[in-house]
Amino acid sequence: MSPVSMEKLNLMAPPSTQIIERRSLTVGILFGIGALVLAFVETDKFFHAYLLAYMAWLGVSLGSMAFLMIHHLTGGGWGMVIRRPLEAAAKTTPLMAILFIPIIAGMKHIYFWLNPAAIANNPHLVELRHGYLSTSGFIFRAVAYLVIWIGLAWLLTRLSATQDQPPVRNLSPRFRVIAAPGLVIYAFTITFAVIDWVMSLSAPWISTIYGFIFIVGQCLSAMCFIVIIERILARHQPMSVILRSKDVHDHGKLMLTFLMLWAYFSYSQFLIIWAGNLPSEITWYSRRLYHGWHWVGLAMVIFHFAVPFCLLLSRPFKRNVYTLVWLAGWLMLMRYADLFWYIEANFNERFFVTISDVVLPIAMGGFWLWFFFRNLRQRPLLPPYALHARELVEAIHE
Amino acid sequence: MVQAIEVEPGENKAPVMASGHTFGSITDKVSAMVLTRPLTKGWIFGFAICFLILQWMLYAMCWLFFKGVGVWGVNIPIGWGFAIVNFVWWIGIGHAGTLISAILLLLRQSWRNSINRFAEAMTLFAVACAGMFPIFHLGRPWVFYWLFPYPNTMNYWPNFRSPLVWDVFAVSTYGTISLVFWFVGLIPDLATMRDHAEKKWIKTVYGMLALGWRNSTRHWSRYETAYLLLGGLATPLVLSVHTVVSFDFAIGIVPGWHTTIFPPYFVAGAIYSGFAMVLVLAIPIRKFYHLEDFITPRHLENSAMVMLATGWIVAYGYAFEAFMNWFGGDQYESYVRWNRIHGPYAPWYIALLMCNILIPQILWWRKVRLSNFWLFMISMDILIGMWLERFVIVVVSLHRDFLTSSFGMYYPTQFDWAIFIGTLGFFTACMFLFLRLLPAVPIFELRSLLPEAKAVEHE
Repeated sequence: MSPVSMEKLNLMAPPSTQIIERRSLTVGILFGIGALVLAFVETDKFFHAYLLAYMAWLGVSLGSMAFLMIHHLTGGGWGMVIRRPLEAAAKTTPLMAILFIPIIAGMKHIYFWLNPAAIANNPHLVELRHGYLSTSGFIFRAVAYLVIWIGLAWLLTRLSATQDQPPVRNLSPRFRVIAAPGLVIYAFTITFAVIDWVMSLSAPWISTIYGFIFIVGQCLSAMCFIVIIERILARHQPMSVILRSKDVHDHGKLMLTFLMLWAYFSYSQFLIIWAGNLPSEITWYSRRLYHGWHWVGLAMVIFHFAVPFCLLLSRPFKRNVYTLVWLAGWLMLMRYADLFWYIEANFNERFFVTISDVVLPIAMGGFWLWFFFRNLRQRPLLPPYALHARELVEAIHE
Repeated sequence: MVQAIEVEPGENKAPVMASGHTFGSITDKVSAMVLTRPLTKGWIFGFAICFLILQWMLYAMCWLFFKGVGVWGVNIPIGWGFAIVNFVWWIGIGHAGTLISAILLLLRQSWRNSINRFAEAMTLFAVACAGMFPIFHLGRPWVFYWLFPYPNTMNYWPNFRSPLVWDVFAVSTYGTISLVFWFVGLIPDLATMRDHAEKKWIKTVYGMLALGWRNSTRHWSRYETAYLLLGGLATPLVLSVHTVVSFDFAIGIVPGWHTTIFPPYFVAGAIYSGFAMVLVLAIPIRKFYHLEDFITPRHLENSAMVMLATGWIVAYGYAFEAFMNWFGGDQYESYVRWNRIHGPYAPWYIALLMCNILIPQILWWRKVRLSNFWLFMISMDILIGMWLERFVIVVVSLHRDFLTSSFGMYYPTQFDWAIFIGTLGFFTACMFLFLRLLPAVPIFELRSLLPEAKAVEHE
C-alpha cells in the first residue's frame, strides 16, 4: 500500500469530542461552584474530599504517562493506537499542578501533623514535623514532583509532535532514551509523593509496598480510562479503521494484569501486617476493618478484584470494546472507592459519604476531561509520520 | 508520493536468528551437538572438575548426616545461616527459566525460542539445588515427608499458618510444573533425535522418551494447546514461589524481615539473578557450540535490559525500605539500618550495594549490552550481589534483633562452604550432561522462526 491511504484517513478527533469537551467544562464549572459553596459549609470535609478527588484524577494522568513510557520501551500495536490519547492524558499534568494549590491552601485541614497538640505525645512525629514534614519542605517537594512530571510529559509529547510532519520517521530510540529513565523517575517520585500526600495522614505508620500499590492502581485507572475513550471514538474515523479487536484484547489483558498486580500487592500488604500484628502497624487495618469500613474493604475484594477478574478471563469479553467499556467504567469507580478507603478512613472512624465526596470528583473530573479533550483534539489521533503507525495502517489495509 | 524513511541510529537491532538457515540446516546443526559431535577434551575436563566438586559436596553431606547440623556454623541467634541463604539464591535463579518459557510465551516474544530450553533446564537444576538445603536443614532429613499433610498414626499435622509449610507446597508445585513443562517442550525434539540417531539403542532411548510422537497434525494441535496451558499454569508460579519464599521472612516480626515490600522485591531479585545466570550460561554455550546464529546479540541485549529493569526494582526496594524505616521511626528497624552500614557485616552490605546497584548501571550503555565479555562479568557480579543480598537479609537481620543479650555472630564452617560450592558443581555438572544428551536449543521452535514457517495470522 502506498502511504497515500494514510493521508486519505481523517486522523483528527471526531467532532463529537468537541461536544464532550464543552459539556465537560460546563459540568466542571457547575459542580465547581457547588464545591466552592461546600468549601465554606463543610470546610474540613471539603478538603478531605479534595485530596481524594485529586489523587483519583492524578492517577489517570500519571498512569497514562507510565503506559506511554512502557509503550515506547516495549513497542507493539496495542500502544500505537492509544498513543495520542495517552499523550493527551499525560499532558494534563500542568492542570494537576494548578489543582494542587488548594491542597497547599487547605493543608491544616488535611494533615494532622501540622497541629502541634496532635503530635505532642509522639517525639518521633515532632522530630519529623521539624525535619522532613515541615510546611516548606512539603511544598518544595510537591513543586519538584509536579515539575518533574510536567517535564516528562512535555518531553514525550514534544518529540511525538514532530511525527505529525513529514518525513516518515522512526523515533523509537529517542523515545526510549526518555522513557527508560522516565519510568524509574516516575516510580521514585510518585512513591515520595504518596508518602507526603497520603501515607503521612497516618504517620508514623509505614508500609514499604505502599508506593507499588499506588503505581499499579494508577496504571489500572489509566487503562480503564483509555478503554472508555476508545469506546467514545470507536464509531468514528480514524478509530473505526485503526482499532482492531486484537488491540482491544491487549488492553483488556493489560487491565487484567494490573488488576492482578493490585490484588497481589494489596493482599501481600494485608497478610504481612495482619500476621505480624504489631501495634504500630495493625492500627491502620483495625481502623479500616471496623465501623462500617470493613464493608468497603469487603466490597474491594469482591467488586474491585473477584468479579472483574472472572469477567476479564473471558476472551470474547476482552476483545469487544462495547462490553469491555462497562467493566472499565466500573473499575474506575472502584479505584475511587479504593482510594476512599485509603484516604477517608484516616479522617473518620465511621464510614460515611459526604456531599463533598460526590461533588468534588465530578467537578475536578469536568475540568480534567475538558483539558484532556482539548489536548486530544489538537493532534491527529495517530502520528501520521511515525513509521510504526504506517505499518499499522498498512497491515489493516492489506 | 513515496516518503523517505529516516532511520535513527540505535535501531539496528540484531535479528532473533541469523539469516541463511533452512529447516534442514537447523535440525542438522542442533542434533549434531548431541549425536555426531565427538566427546571433546574441553567437555571432559569441565565435567570432571564439576564432578570433583560434587564429590566434595557428597563428602560434606555424609559428615552432616553422621554428625547433624552442628557441623554447620548455625547456632542461636543465627539458626538459618547458609542453608537458607543458598536456598533463596538458588530458587531465585530458577525463576528466569520459567519467565522465559512461560511469560514470554504468553507475550508472544519470539526471542525466547532459542534460549528457553536451556533456561528451563537451568530452572530444574537450580530447583534441585535449592530443594536440598531446607531438607538438610531439617536436622532429620529422612523424615522430610512429615512436612506434607497426610493421615498418620502420630496425630501429627503441619501448621498451616507457618509460611515454611507454604514453601513446601510452593516449591514442590514449582518443581513439578517446571519438569512437566520442560519435558513436554522436549517431545517433538526427542522425536527428531530418534529419527536422526543411527545406533539402534540410541534410537530406542529417544524413541521411548518421545512417547510415540509422529509429527501428525493432530499431535501438533494437541501439543500446542497443552504447551499453552502449561505456560498459563507456570506463569503465576513465577510470582508465587518467590512471594512465598519472601513470606518466610516477612510474616515474622524480626527487624529487617518484617516489611511489606518483600514479595515483589524478592520476585524482581529472583528474575534479576536468574537472567544473570542465563547469560553466564548462554555466553560460553554459544561460543563453544558455535550457536551464534541462534543465540544472537539480540538475546544477550534483551536479557541485559531485563536485568537493568529488575535491578531498578531491587534498588527501589532498598531505597524505600531504608527511607520508610526512617520515616516510621521504629527503634529496632533504625538499628537494623545502622547495623547494616556500621555493624560487623558492613563490608558485606557495601559490597552488596556495589554489586547489585552501582556496577550494573553500566548496562545503560548499548556497547556494554552487546559485549560478551562485559555482560559475562556483570552477570557474575549480579549473581554475587544477589547472594550477598540474601546473606544480609538472613544473617545480618538475625544476628542482632531485639535483645542485646541475644546478639551473636555467624561463622560459616568448611561444611557450609563445601555444600554451597558443591551445589555449584552439581548444577554445572548437570548442565554439562544436559548439553551432551539433549538438544540444548529447541529445534522445532527455531524452525518456526524461519520466514517459510510463517502461517497467515487468523483474527
